[in-house]
Amino acid sequence: MLIILIVVFSFLILIILIFKINETPEVKKEIEGILTDSSYDVSKPKFTINSEEQKISVSANKGNFKNNDEILLQNNVLLQSNKFKIYSDYVIFNKKNQTANSQNESVFIAKGTRIESEGFNIIEKGNIIKFIGNTKLTISE
Amino acid sequence: MKIILIIILILSNKIIAKEVGQIEITTEAGIEVFQNEKYYLLKENVHIISDNFELSANFVKAFFENDLYDIVRIESQDNVTLISSQGMKAKGGEINFSTKNENITIKGAESSLIYGNIQMFSNELIKVNNMTGEFNLKGENSELKTDSIYILGKTIDGRYINIEGINEIDELLVGDPNQSNIKTKNINMFSKKASYSKKEDLIELFDNVKIIRDNEVITGDYAKIDTLNQSYKVFSKNSKKVKILIKNSDE
Repeated sequence: MLIILIVVFSFLILIILIFKINETPEVKKEIEGILTDSSYDVSKPKFTINSEEQKISVSANKGNFKNNDEILLQNNVLLQSNKFKIYSDYVIFNKKNQTANSQNESVFIAKGTRIESEGFNIIEKGNIIKFIGNTKLTISE
Repeated sequence: MKIILIIILILSNKIIAKEVGQIEITTEAGIEVFQNEKYYLLKENVHIISDNFELSANFVKAFFENDLYDIVRIESQDNVTLISSQGMKAKGGEINFSTKNENITIKGAESSLIYGNIQMFSNELIKVNNMTGEFNLKGENSELKTDSIYILGKTIDGRYINIEGINEIDELLVGDPNQSNIKTKNINMFSKKASYSKKEDLIELFDNVKIIRDNEVITGDYAKIDTLNQSYKVFSKNSKKVKILIKNSDE
């Protein structure tokens, strides 16, 4: 009887712990990282966003296909053109639409310009870059 | 003691956050960069701090010229406040200005611009070129105030000059289809049109003229006021039309 009680109690604690972990985004990310660490689809993926004005190369350490068009890029994600660089750790790249977006802290660096934000969206083949959330732009004249 | 030290450290870190020559922009709802159109779109609780000015607004378009760092024009809307390092303070629903030629345009109800001893108020438009001193006010009951003169009109155009740190009105053209008003320390003047020249020490009043000084009220079609000795002449197209009313203050 005591053993059954201990097992039930431990099971309940385990369930509560799992719920608690899921509520904390930072921990969730770590878990995702661990889970995907051994199961990523592509190592050092590279893509390019091409437009008439510029070419943006997209690279990362790891990539996981979410569907036919989207790939989740993780670890040292870098978007680079001849005008700027964007650094982030989690970026979803859409091969079909040639878009990239992130809900994680990102840093944009260009000549005399630095933007720190809580994420970004690149649309219209890189013509428009939307930095989301609390954002800080520093311009050095 | 430790808490005080931490507070000092935090404050000093905030103070030295922006380096000399830098422009720091913060927003609560992001920044959009339009590379081909060459502008930034800044949204919600926007604060811009530079060596030359500080601006707060809820919606800002910052245009750049050669590269992303080269901001040349700012268009801001929604509860805008602009303070220049020279002491100019502007408020309005919309403030647009050029960082190159210091042209400032303020639009909307309760627009104001205060620069030293000059105060401008309008419910429609205030335009100032801080380099040349030229200004334009447009809208019902637009007002211009200095230490020595008060002007009310629908359009007030002119120029100020800075003499030893004090801004003085150099030229002025006032218009109002109803009645404009110029008030100095001694004389209260009304007319549909008026002009002022500091160089000539002269105020001219046109159409529907009324001058009030102490207990004296004079009406006519045209008046010339010498601002040096406060003397004036009133004329009328019809010589019989000039009217003088002298009030007896003892009555």
